[in-house]
Amino acid sequence: MATVAITALSKLYDGGGELAVKDLSLTVADGEFMVLLGPSGCGKSSVLRMIAGLEPITSGTVAIDGKVVNEVPAKDRDIAMVFQSYALYPHMDVFNNLAFGLRRRGIAASEIERRVQGAAAKLGLLPFLKRKPHALSGGQRQRVALGRAIVREPKVFLFDEPLSNLDAALRVSTRNELIRQQRELGITAIYVTHDQIEAMTMGHRICIMSKGEVVQIGKPLEVYRNPANTFVARFLGNPPMNLIPVTIQGDARSHQLRFGGTSLAARCWPAERLSRLDGKALLGIRPEDVYEASPRSGDERLVAITGASVVAVEPLGAETLVVLSLPGVSEEVIVRSGRESKLRPGEHATIQLDLGAAHLFDQATTEVIARIDVKREAGWPRTA
Amino acid sequence: MIAPAAKSPAHNWAAHLRRSPLLAFMLIYTVISGGPFLWVAVMSLRTTPEIFASPYALPSRVHWEKFVEAWTKSNYGTYFWNSTIVVVTAVALLTIIGAMVAHCLARYRFRGNRLVRFVILSGLILPPQLMILSLFQILLEYRLYNTLTGLIIVYVAGHLAITVYILEGFFAQIPQDLFDAARLDGYSDLEIFWRITLPIGVPALFTTVTLNFIILWNEFLYAVVLLTEDDKRTLPLGIMHFMGSHQLDVGMLATGLMIAIGPVILLYALFSETMIKGMTAGAVR
Repeated sequence: MATVAITALSKLYDGGGELAVKDLSLTVADGEFMVLLGPSGCGKSSVLRMIAGLEPITSGTVAIDGKVVNEVPAKDRDIAMVFQSYALYPHMDVFNNLAFGLRRRGIAASEIERRVQGAAAKLGLLPFLKRKPHALSGGQRQRVALGRAIVREPKVFLFDEPLSNLDAALRVSTRNELIRQQRELGITAIYVTHDQIEAMTMGHRICIMSKGEVVQIGKPLEVYRNPANTFVARFLGNPPMNLIPVTIQGDARSHQLRFGGTSLAARCWPAERLSRLDGKALLGIRPEDVYEASPRSGDERLVAITGASVVAVEPLGAETLVVLSLPGVSEEVIVRSGRESKLRPGEHATIQLDLGAAHLFDQATTEVIARIDVKREAGWPRTA
Repeated sequence: MIAPAAKSPAHNWAAHLRRSPLLAFMLIYTVISGGPFLWVAVMSLRTTPEIFASPYALPSRVHWEKFVEAWTKSNYGTYFWNSTIVVVTAVALLTIIGAMVAHCLARYRFRGNRLVRFVILSGLILPPQLMILSLFQILLEYRLYNTLTGLIIVYVAGHLAITVYILEGFFAQIPQDLFDAARLDGYSDLEIFWRITLPIGVPALFTTVTLNFIILWNEFLYAVVLLTEDDKRTLPLGIMHFMGSHQLDVGMLATGLMIAIGPVILLYALFSETMIKGMTAGAVR
């Protein structure tokens, strides 16, 4: 049981001109499941390897339970890691794979036997203890890798994309198994993935990284609902958030957002902030907040946009994705519609944007512009 | 409806015909490589007069006693023992040292690692004839001339390059994750070498052991220059001994050759499959 505190961590690889990790600070609480999420090459695996002690730290500190471990060798950090490749020792059977780390730590044979049997029973590996890794299926190998971490009873679990080699069905069940084990054992876990579904479902909190830097840290739904910038907005959510370039017009008191032939009153955002925007911004709206037909009549947060032409319709079974082109807007807009969407490619439609769930981003910095609570003020944004 | 017919005889013939160049090649290759061996094997069981009377005949009477004679009267026991000491020691040292060097080169990035690799692997392209005079001088100065120890050292030095080359290629394929996992499991670098690299590298180790054994067992050039006393000679020198300056005892020469070939054939029969696997297969599937 441990807290992990990372302070101003940076990593420069030999021969690399640019920092792979830049000035990263992060604290993982005792028993917390923290997910590092980001596209490949964003530095998340480097962070994990520095925590594990597999990679030297260029600058900054990693502390476990308040003790800085920068100079502590990997073997003495009391950390267990599950690798993407599982890293099972191919010349040892499952039992020895599980027991290998315990033997080195001078644990009595009877205790090793007890722990290995316990973990194997918990993970359904009892029938395979005498098998070599090559005689196991992908899912079984994954469970052995997890078992190897569990028997160690470490202070911290590290996971480096452990599910990405599994097929879709197995990934879901293993994901649930992993969550269950972590919650049951209560061991602090840091989990690296580029899969946003894993991040959303597994983490107590997620830390989104891009180009070696932390972009946003928060609870999964918080981050999903309140992205800090367009990177998070596009990276979380599938399909990603629609970003519509808008021009801003108005005086110090009231502004309009214009795109194509549409003009909306921008009352959810502070006027003085809008006047600093150089007349341009991005309106972000998630596909589930765009409606094919008005879901609630009389809700003034819903704005109808006419003349959208249907570019493509993708029925996914449980839902239908409709790709639309709005008049005068270069970006296509994706709508998450019900499974019985009536729209067909080539048709024209009127759609409803839920401005109550929309975000506005600064086009230059890509940062979100904080909303203000306008419920108390009279009237919601109305088409002008 | 007619079920798809089995291939017609004509079709079969065409297939055979297409394959006939390959079969012919295999046949010629087998005759060229296996023929001389078979001939020597037959001659090793015949006496010299019998051989001169009819070189290619099968033995009219099998002279097993020639093997006993070669072993006892021609000092063959000593040669065989010398060869065994030299080759087994050299191969053991080569395997351990070569594996350690290969492990370091494949696993660690250290200052000057490219230089070290270049120096070691440049041994691959140096012809032995080039070094023989200087080696002779060095061994003389260190009182290692005419000793088995001297020859063992020369063999280890001479074959380290090819050993490291083969092993490094294999070790480099072992995923880094395995080493990282072992480090997190608490093992030191040396322990990781013994418990991870060596066991996983067994197929490659078999390859180098077999290869080095066969080459060193037959090595002649260094041995003939660096050993002069009869009781220090290795098998290849002993065989030359049968070719006296005045006479050529073909029958005993053949017997001597068969004794010398024996261990190589045995080794190859036992390990050829593992060796080929080691040369072709990846480290970890």
